[in-house]
Amino acid sequence: MQHYWNSPVTWGHAGIYLLGAIAVLAVVIFFVTYAIYFERKVIGWMQFRQGPNRTGPLGLLQTAADVAKLLMKEDTIPARADRVLFILAPVLAFVPSFLVLAIIPYGLNLQFADLNVGFLYYIALSGVTTIAIVVAGWASNNKYALLGGMRSAAQMISYEVPLVMSVVGVAMMTGSLNLRDIVIGQEGYFWHWNFIPQILGFAVFVIAAVSELNRTPFDLPEAESELVAGYHVEYSGFRFAFFMLSEYVYMYAIACLGTILFLGGWNPPLPQLDFIPGLIWFALKFACIVFFLFWIRATLPRLRVDQLMGLAWKVLLPIAIANIFLTALGIEWFG
Amino acid sequence: MDWNIDFTGEFFAFFLLAVCAIAGAVLAINFTKVVHTALSLAFTFVSLAGLYILLQAEFVAFVQVLLYVGAVTILMIFGIMMTKHQSEGREPGRPLLETLAAIGCLCLFGILFYAIRSASFPAPEAALPEDNVASIGMLLYSAYAIPFELVSVLLTVAFIGAVALAKREEEQP
Repeated sequence: MQHYWNSPVTWGHAGIYLLGAIAVLAVVIFFVTYAIYFERKVIGWMQFRQGPNRTGPLGLLQTAADVAKLLMKEDTIPARADRVLFILAPVLAFVPSFLVLAIIPYGLNLQFADLNVGFLYYIALSGVTTIAIVVAGWASNNKYALLGGMRSAAQMISYEVPLVMSVVGVAMMTGSLNLRDIVIGQEGYFWHWNFIPQILGFAVFVIAAVSELNRTPFDLPEAESELVAGYHVEYSGFRFAFFMLSEYVYMYAIACLGTILFLGGWNPPLPQLDFIPGLIWFALKFACIVFFLFWIRATLPRLRVDQLMGLAWKVLLPIAIANIFLTALGIEWFG
Repeated sequence: MDWNIDFTGEFFAFFLLAVCAIAGAVLAINFTKVVHTALSLAFTFVSLAGLYILLQAEFVAFVQVLLYVGAVTILMIFGIMMTKHQSEGREPGRPLLETLAAIGCLCLFGILFYAIRSASFPAPEAALPEDNVASIGMLLYSAYAIPFELVSVLLTVAFIGAVALAKREEEQP
């Protein structure tokens, strides 16, 4: 895609970009639709229930029906809300979540932008969503929404630090922040993947990522039992749908990142299995991470708000820094 | 008149980003609610990051977004929300001061415009390295190691100072 940069703008090039973006959007919307379905099914089975099974065969159309319901709902804006920001906040939340997908390499030649600061790009843009959540809470003019927004900002800023620190080890082992180079650096058998030499970093990454996604056990910003629903109490209809959508798109992005950084991306676990296309390996590892996220949501209770910050600053950050030291020592001693 | 403009993607991107940066800054001055001001500042920061990308300084661009948008703006919004904002209103206008400020701004613009138009931009002798993030890293830890460490010490001191200040307030009854 880089070679379009210096060539004159034509309708053809603009069209190629547009088609690419629409293709990614279609894949993501499909993923979100069925991720919600599988989430409800998996959690249902884990809790001895059936999950959705009425709409369509095996309940497959349940999410489509839910989305249709959300789109047809009345769009309410509270009278005392800050109208402009109230409308702007869902957009601000969704746009960065979609933008971060631009740098994800699904295969050796299947990538939109080959940035040499790939990981930094993800972290930087996901920060914009934090602003959107705080602004949504503030613009609603509702104390529960404001509390939810504040909690969210504090939580997301705190957990961004260990998230970045946990990936420094990976960057040191590869010598690059480029996601493509990181995957190429993990070629070989599955014990060459980063999650074994970087097991500490991987653990910190997973915990911090779950927290960045605002999912159980770290879903304090929307803790329904204490804050009604957190920052999106006042939102209904398609604006609410946008918040939900951006949350699931981030899940997609972070599962892709986990696959790329720690599970070897499109590399097969054994080089002998090379005849199976890399995209299938990528999808399998991606599905494992997504399932893991559903699994902990079904089984773990929520943290208390005073335990949350302590975990980030007193446990995860020291572990991540220790991991950087150990990685440096390992590179020095074993090459 | 020949403006030396060829309509590449770069030109359109620069034009759009420049307009966005200026619009954000102008709106930041004109808004009366502080939260709106903070947000339009964030908008300017993002546009500036886009300009850095045009200059092929990706690392600076994303650090800009990470720090200014992700941290500084949120900190500002956080601070604003903690304080009362009921008594926000327009200050009475001060015509003399405003006229003087306008003249000063016009002079500054004239000087900058003249300087930029009369400046020559020689092409760099060596081509830019392909992976400029790696080059930044190399330079930072070899040629500029001591300034880098000094800045780290400074930041650590500020950090410890902030902790100490917060701690002292906590101990008071």
